[in-house]
Amino acid sequence: MNEIELEAIIEDYLNGKLTANEQSAFEQLRNNDPIVDHKVVAHKVFLESLKQYADVMSLKQQLDAAHDRIDVAAISAKVKPHPSRIIRMFRNNKAAIAVAASFLVLASVVYFGQTRQDDNMQLLNNKVIATQGTLNDIVRVVKEPKPSTITPARFGGSGFAISSNGYILTSYHVIKGADSVYVQNNRGESYKAKAFYTDPVNDIAVLKINDSDFTALGALPYTLKRTGTSIGELVYTLGYPKDDVVLGDGYVSSKTGLNGDTVSYQVAIPVNPGNSGGPLLDNNGNIVGVIKGKENKIDGAAFAVKSKYIAEALNAIPQDSLRRRVAYGKRSSLQGLKREQQVRKMQEYVFMVKAY
Amino acid sequence: MSLKLSSSVPTDREVVLGILNNSEEVLNKLYAGYYPMVLQFILNNNGDEDDAKDVYQEAIIVLYNKIKTGNFELSSKLKTYLYSVSRRIWLKKLAHLSKRTNNIADFEDVLMVEEDVEKHEERDMQFTQMKTALERLGEPCKTIIQDFYIQNLSMQEICEKFGYTNTDNAKTQKYKCLQRLKKLFFQS
Repeated sequence: MNEIELEAIIEDYLNGKLTANEQSAFEQLRNNDPIVDHKVVAHKVFLESLKQYADVMSLKQQLDAAHDRIDVAAISAKVKPHPSRIIRMFRNNKAAIAVAASFLVLASVVYFGQTRQDDNMQLLNNKVIATQGTLNDIVRVVKEPKPSTITPARFGGSGFAISSNGYILTSYHVIKGADSVYVQNNRGESYKAKAFYTDPVNDIAVLKINDSDFTALGALPYTLKRTGTSIGELVYTLGYPKDDVVLGDGYVSSKTGLNGDTVSYQVAIPVNPGNSGGPLLDNNGNIVGVIKGKENKIDGAAFAVKSKYIAEALNAIPQDSLRRRVAYGKRSSLQGLKREQQVRKMQEYVFMVKAY
Repeated sequence: MSLKLSSSVPTDREVVLGILNNSEEVLNKLYAGYYPMVLQFILNNNGDEDDAKDVYQEAIIVLYNKIKTGNFELSSKLKTYLYSVSRRIWLKKLAHLSKRTNNIADFEDVLMVEEDVEKHEERDMQFTQMKTALERLGEPCKTIIQDFYIQNLSMQEICEKFGYTNTDNAKTQKYKCLQRLKKLFFQS
């Protein structure tokens, strides 16, 4: 038996084409001759690989044909990364957002159930509600004035410029429900402004000055801090709890706000009604947050919305409308200056916000 | 935005039965049905349309082999399985190209498919080995082998196609070709 015949027999054997007699004879040969056995094993592996190769090749052909029927460009246009960060974030995290939303619904249901069940619980809840109430309430209530021709501001807060051409960032609760909004600079000049963008969830609002008297500001001296700040970081704020700008000085005391709210920092800083919406800056002139409120029941605990959410608000505004916007994550021109020099430079960009 | 898959996406059971019965129609529908999902994943994670095509086809081959070998259990949705396999393959490719692999934007749930993907890589290596061996074999040997083993032509037909004077000559030629191919395959 020559090599060619042996090969043919091995192949027939593997394909099960031998008769019963031939098969037993061949198996005997295979048992007695390790070389033949080795050839059988090798040929088996080889034939399987070849078969697999053929299968994959034909499958690939089918898949290519299927691929050619698809309008790739059209689908691609639909699913490619969206230029807007917000939509992209929503798309990427839609599952998480849905979970968060259902928790909110669930939480409100549970909360409701509890208050109805138990009177003591209600009392406690009321307290919680009361503290939350005070939290958002360091809006300055202007005292009932003597009769005058000028309508007094219903309430006021602070704000700061986020671009040279009159976009002012403040707290949402400062302007919430206002019919009209004015901003006033440190020289006492008042401009009419309009709510341009509001984010009630993070308590942020952007106003746009709509006043022909308004002249563009110089380049903003401060920048937005990109990274989170750490506990113990020395910070200060400028705001308008009275008619003149007031400096408040303190430090970041916790990375979370009231009841573990991750949107805010807790800051040990003296703030008063009217400070809401004011910028919170570190010693290098980076804005780390926006003053939002304080806790009446705890001494020296104020809260500030983190700069990350300011950046989100900025990104939500059409970029071409912001001229010379506040830089993000860059070196601020206030860096290295003494506090009083920083404040002198800052003043022009911090506004009193008056809502009527 | 949720991706609307066209209504013609076959059910998971249809796909399994279709693949077991070599239905081309089911394969086409399967392909068209989940392609947007994988394309979206790749486009949002550093890849382009060609990457998506390669990765998706590999994922389908993995699924195909799994169903064909009979150890596919419908313990998860096919969609989730295909997504997870595509994801794993693409992450490996990204790592291989030493591109950024943190911050992966996900659109679906993810299963652990490491084992399946590794098995596929072994198969794929064998596939590449056979492919290169056949390419290095050259003509007319390559066609003779393919005609006999893949197209299942008889020795008689091959004899006529290549103009051999008799089937014995054809057999000898085929034998020589086969020996060379085996050598190339096992040595590589």
